[in-house]
Amino acid sequence: MRTYSVSLKQWVKILSLVSAKYNVFAPLLRQDFPDYELLSDDNVDLITFNKTKPTTPLKAFFFPIKENVVKEQKNKKRVIVGIPSCDLSALNLLDKIFLDEDFLDTYYKEKRDNTILIGSDCYEIDNNCHCTSYGVNPYPEKNCDISYSLIDHKITLQVHTKKGEKFLSEFSTELIEIDGIPIGIEEKRQKIIEELKLQNKELPDTEETRKMLLKEGSVIWKKYAKDCVSCGACAVICPSCHCFLLIDKANFEKVKNWDACQYPAFERVAGDEDPLEKIYNRLKNRYLCKFVHKPDMFGEIACTGCGRCIDACIGKINKNELIIEACK
Amino acid sequence: MAEKNIYKPIKYKVDKIVTETPLIKTFFISAEKEFEFKTGQFVEVTLDGIGEAPYTPSSSPYVKNKMELTIMNAGYVTGKMHELKGGETIGIRGPYGKGYPIEKFYGKEILILGGGVGLAPLRCLILTLLKEEDKFKKIYICFGAKTPSDFIYKDWFDELKKHKNVELLRSVDEADANWNETEGVVTVLLDKIEIDFIETVAIVCGPPIMMKFGAKRLLELGAKEENIYLSMETNMSCGLGKCGHCAMDGLYVCKDGPVFTYDEIKDTTEMIEFRSYFEKK
Repeated sequence: MRTYSVSLKQWVKILSLVSAKYNVFAPLLRQDFPDYELLSDDNVDLITFNKTKPTTPLKAFFFPIKENVVKEQKNKKRVIVGIPSCDLSALNLLDKIFLDEDFLDTYYKEKRDNTILIGSDCYEIDNNCHCTSYGVNPYPEKNCDISYSLIDHKITLQVHTKKGEKFLSEFSTELIEIDGIPIGIEEKRQKIIEELKLQNKELPDTEETRKMLLKEGSVIWKKYAKDCVSCGACAVICPSCHCFLLIDKANFEKVKNWDACQYPAFERVAGDEDPLEKIYNRLKNRYLCKFVHKPDMFGEIACTGCGRCIDACIGKINKNELIIEACK
Repeated sequence: MAEKNIYKPIKYKVDKIVTETPLIKTFFISAEKEFEFKTGQFVEVTLDGIGEAPYTPSSSPYVKNKMELTIMNAGYVTGKMHELKGGETIGIRGPYGKGYPIEKFYGKEILILGGGVGLAPLRCLILTLLKEEDKFKKIYICFGAKTPSDFIYKDWFDELKKHKNVELLRSVDEADANWNETEGVVTVLLDKIEIDFIETVAIVCGPPIMMKFGAKRLLELGAKEENIYLSMETNMSCGLGKCGHCAMDGLYVCKDGPVFTYDEIKDTTEMIEFRSYFEKK
């Protein structure tokens, strides 16, 4: 794995050059929270580095909210910059589902193939960040082509794939190859890990969570479901949630549309039988899906500890509080 | 695109529609290209611009350019299906799911327990079994319906009775004056057949509640959990193991099923709930 150093000024210049050829999406800070926007000369000043996760989960780039999956797709080459490690981890599961050899989703695959992923270390944490509790470090280790961190006005680039190496060589001759990552970055990473551990010291790991959720009767689900309004925000904002509904359009076209198991009638069949009719069963299903069923089916936990579902919940259901209570 | 688009249906023409009962019709469809499927697998049927739903063909998998679908008017898409007149173009995707493991049935007594529109997939299975009838010790068919007029495939039963290796028994929940066969729920037929339940392969298909009671009775009579095959019905959208709708705990009915042995699904929430309901009674 090669490592390069480049000045911040030079890196921003590189991104401008890249954006002439690719659609570049980077986290910009307009209000309190960073979120991805298409980079242009007009907004490049707003780009943020090593902040906490962008509001939109990465999945939206490969699995759009609505997508016609019968019409031929036209994908422009893209670069996504500043992806947090939690979102990259979610690709473990999404890739297994959409790149499944039995039924390869070419709409997902083409987007994956046409995208350069540039991850970013997190040097800030949100109140609900808890990646380390679920075995994910707050800096990218896999599923990206390149990752960066900014320290002392210098960007350190770590190249993870050949695709990443080729991409960089295309745009810059001014990168200085360095020997390993600077000690300052290592220290920063350790500091963030410590912060995350302290913030989540009561939160059990995935194994304990799995074991205890399986033992739960209905009391805890009923208690927390009282505050659930079935809005589906937790699923929409989740980097791992992948459920969708195919909606039929004229000429045998189909639109793949995000769906959520918290919505009423998600599992209702003709004749009105519905195993998830009760809200508390839907809530239970969500948690078991993430910590029990997905690991059983795909060998991947369906929660990467990003905490967005806690931020997004209208009913203020705190997933971590529920899990801590279940594990008591 | 070089790779196949998994979401795009192929077009079939509706050649003929037969009304089986007031609520059930059989659609005879055909395509130019041959279509391969195994008995027990299902297809997703698209009504252009309206919707899509999964059905197991009721015709033989040995017939490759035509297909029959027997469909009950039970919801939105099936309601629109029933409005078809013939001559329309519909879409088919598939085949999906695992079929019945026919090779495992060789040399055994086969018990087929079906109710209502559940006879549709079973017809496909029976036609497949009869193609190599001699490979099975005996085929017992127990069919049930609400009333005599609710039976689908009314012309088919006489044909079935002609097969030496087949024994057909029928029951109705409510008999009429002309009915001279069994009256009662379909599981009562299980007490009327001379069969070694411990060795038999039992295949059950019908309304969810009938399948559960069917499995329960079969177990009481000594059938082995791994020899009872049930067809599960869930909400389904993609059929490809991606959309999440048909999840039954850690199983996707579309990819892991739709046919499951009892031991594969006995620990799912749905089956546990059924058993606990019964234990309380």
